[in-house]
Amino acid sequence: MATKIRRLTLSTAWLIVGLVAGMPLFGVIIGLWPAVELSWTQVTDFFTYKGLASSVLDTLLLSLLAPLIALYVAFMVYSQYRFNPKWQTLEQRLAPLLSLPHLAVALGLVYLFSSGGMLWSSIWGLFNAPAPEWLALPRKSLITMTLAISIKEVPFFLLIFSALGRQLAIKDWLLQGRALGYSEITSWWLLVFPIMLKQSRLALLAAMAYTLSVLDISLLIGPNIPELYAVVLYSWQTGFTEAQQSYAFIGNLLLLVMLGLLIFSIYLHEWLITRGLLAQAVMANPLKIAGLSHVFTAWLGLFSVLTVTILLTFILWSLGWNSQNSLSNINWSFTLWQDEWFFFQAPLLNSLHIALLSSVLGVAISLLALELQKQSRRYLPDYVWLLAILLPQLSMVYGWQIIHTQVGADYNTFWIVLSHLPFTFAYSYLVLKGPFQSLNRHYELVAASFGYSYWQSWWQVRFMLLRPALLSALALAFSVSIAQYIPTLMIGAGRISTITTEAVAIASGNEQSITAVYMLIQATLPFLAFLIASILAQRIRGSFDATHQ
Amino acid sequence: MMWLTFKSSRLFSKVKPKKTLVSLLTLFTLCCLPFISISYGQTSLTAEVEQRENNPQWQQTLAAAKGQNVYFYAWGGSKPINDYLRWATREIARRYKIRLHHVKVADISEAVSRLKAEGGNKSAIDLLWINGENFSYLKQQDLLLGQLWADIPNSVLLATQVFPLKNDFGVAIEGYEVPWGLGQFNLIANSDIFNNSRTDNLTPADILAAAKQHPGRISYPRPPEFHGTTFLKQLLVALSNKDPRLYLQATLEAQSALLPLLWNYLDRLHPLTWQQGKAFPSSNTEQLSLFQQKQLVMAVSFNPNELAKEQHAKRIADSAQRLYFNDGAITNSHNLAIPKGSQSPEAAKVVIHFLLSELAQKQKLTGSWGDPSVITPLLDDTSRLPAQQELHSSWQQVIEDTWQQRYGA
Repeated sequence: MATKIRRLTLSTAWLIVGLVAGMPLFGVIIGLWPAVELSWTQVTDFFTYKGLASSVLDTLLLSLLAPLIALYVAFMVYSQYRFNPKWQTLEQRLAPLLSLPHLAVALGLVYLFSSGGMLWSSIWGLFNAPAPEWLALPRKSLITMTLAISIKEVPFFLLIFSALGRQLAIKDWLLQGRALGYSEITSWWLLVFPIMLKQSRLALLAAMAYTLSVLDISLLIGPNIPELYAVVLYSWQTGFTEAQQSYAFIGNLLLLVMLGLLIFSIYLHEWLITRGLLAQAVMANPLKIAGLSHVFTAWLGLFSVLTVTILLTFILWSLGWNSQNSLSNINWSFTLWQDEWFFFQAPLLNSLHIALLSSVLGVAISLLALELQKQSRRYLPDYVWLLAILLPQLSMVYGWQIIHTQVGADYNTFWIVLSHLPFTFAYSYLVLKGPFQSLNRHYELVAASFGYSYWQSWWQVRFMLLRPALLSALALAFSVSIAQYIPTLMIGAGRISTITTEAVAIASGNEQSITAVYMLIQATLPFLAFLIASILAQRIRGSFDATHQ
Repeated sequence: MMWLTFKSSRLFSKVKPKKTLVSLLTLFTLCCLPFISISYGQTSLTAEVEQRENNPQWQQTLAAAKGQNVYFYAWGGSKPINDYLRWATREIARRYKIRLHHVKVADISEAVSRLKAEGGNKSAIDLLWINGENFSYLKQQDLLLGQLWADIPNSVLLATQVFPLKNDFGVAIEGYEVPWGLGQFNLIANSDIFNNSRTDNLTPADILAAAKQHPGRISYPRPPEFHGTTFLKQLLVALSNKDPRLYLQATLEAQSALLPLLWNYLDRLHPLTWQQGKAFPSSNTEQLSLFQQKQLVMAVSFNPNELAKEQHAKRIADSAQRLYFNDGAITNSHNLAIPKGSQSPEAAKVVIHFLLSELAQKQKLTGSWGDPSVITPLLDDTSRLPAQQELHSSWQQVIEDTWQQRYGA
């Protein structure tokens, strides 16, 4: 009987984990199911759609370049800081830097550096002249978009490197490099980079897949001659003519092909770089990029300044800054905040409880997935668990929406939580896997020798030791849920409004002052989550150290 | 009024001969006739509304509506509009015990495709703000509740005599939607950019000349955005000298005769526009925001009162002016419709009834939104522009598709 119950529990657990992890795949398959009968002419029409080729090329270029730039910058920063006393500060500051939403970074850059933006208009305002066009960031272009995404992804890669770095014997490699006569920075590039590159494949793919189908930022700051592919595809998906429906179907397939191309180019890039570095090493050429690395000692300071300036810009706009005014005659007022206060409460509460529920559930299920794998002594490859991050969101959620409307389900928060779950699950799995696997088994053995049962020792030792990691996973999952736009909109039919859906709808009207209010609220939520997590984590670590000395 | 009586009594005291007096009196009566007939018309209108409100069927609707929720899908990008709907929400809750929820969408086509996916079954949407091709599609697919004009008492107030409110882009409304407000295409521009000093006879040549003088400072929203397409339509009307074929089905012949005028013009204009035509504002609101930031010298608008409202809020300079094309401003209505699958159709009707009331229309006109009224008691002559008929709806698709072909990539 006992074994039967045990088996039943075990298979139920596998089922739950499998369902949550498999939802993305399921969504993509349903989303790809043709809704209309396709005719050959529609296929040819699709491929001769004017602008499609350049739209696809631009999108591929962006999805390839922005994450790669971020990766390289992150590596240079990492190599400068890793054995620097400042590393501790950097690691502590990473999480809050990571918590600034993509949309906020993108809009912040435009509010600040575009030709009508705050920086240039106030500097040139002093001389009573418009800022020169070439100096400013174009409001809508591939450049602005690339810049925004690469700036935003650097902290993400730093986080990944920091996790990887703990498992690699970097110090030894650098010593060996020194012994062979390389400078430290050259050793970083020749010895550490190839390994790191290989290990961060999934992270790179995640960033690329995100860029490939990100919608809100593409709409607001992406180029529109041609439009980026996600924008075109979304307008087909929400289109209602037969032609648009069939375009949406072929378009989804094309999106998967593009994803395939990106995966291929990740491997190609890796191969080229490894070979290139090897050739440099053999020829004993000095590495030019090594010299560049030094520049990035300034990164932490610059990025912090940028973050603060972006927040400050939003605050100024929300308090009555207006491009008509010069600095001296602004009527500072809290009216906007007072006006909106009453109206953002409901979306705020929705955001909070959706994010709380889906992050707690997501972390719990990823813990379950790890535990199940540990018990069966077989770890499945990461991409199985990270499907929600790796597959294009637009196709995936489209599939869920089809099912949701087909079964005539209600529009309540339950469904939204369910639609956020694959994402919170995948991100917390990403954070928890390392700490969970590398936990010292010794403690559990000791507990067992004292007569603790498996579950007692699991709870009192493993869980307790994992608490700091669990907290950061919770904070990350929470902020991931807060930032979800497409699932909330498509599954909740807009009826469930969150701060993010409100922010995007309001930003569509381009009234900068009111947009700034919502951007600030949206940015505050994840920031608070990370802040609370880091405070709690320090306390927990403290008590743990005290009792186990 | 005092002034009038005083003046007329003085006039009468001076007049001695009887004949003159009689003739003057007749003249006076004749002059007053239109006012009398209008005021008579208004009282009869109010009486008709009252009568329809007392109708048992409407009373039933009111009773059924009590306590219902109405999910109103409407564009959410404008603070004045959102504020107006918040005001309406409070009033509706107080008067009718109905909870109105403004579901802010970034584009109403999201709602249309949702209705399509639901296929007429139970819908998430109770009420939507719509016009043009979205309406034409929903009507054709039979996804909308009909009979609205007959059911909703306040729809007798609609100024159908004055405005073309029975058609929406050439598609007969037939009670499947109710006009809510009026759009008239105009430009908001810096006062000094057009050599031409009159604000009512803008021509394509003026715009081209202004673009030459201010390179990189003129643009328009990227079609198929609604305002952008309308700008192109205005240009086409002007360039073709109001060719009558524009108001009929767009035949291939008519297309090859008329469209090249527009494309030749745009070929000359685009190199002079914002970012050399390599990007366009995504919407009229984005264009307006660029205008406010002095990146552009003009913006397009569908609201004849927008200039005054923006100036009042000190978001644009007092010297900016409103202009319209010499053939008149393309005029159309924006409307409210109830999906067939609405879960509270009664309450949705009551909401429309309220939004057409004199109180609500007045608040819309005089409040921060400034959207023109569509009801007879509140005809607003000061803001109204000379109207120009909408092109036949088939031209919309043709213009948008060809634009995408020529300039979209």
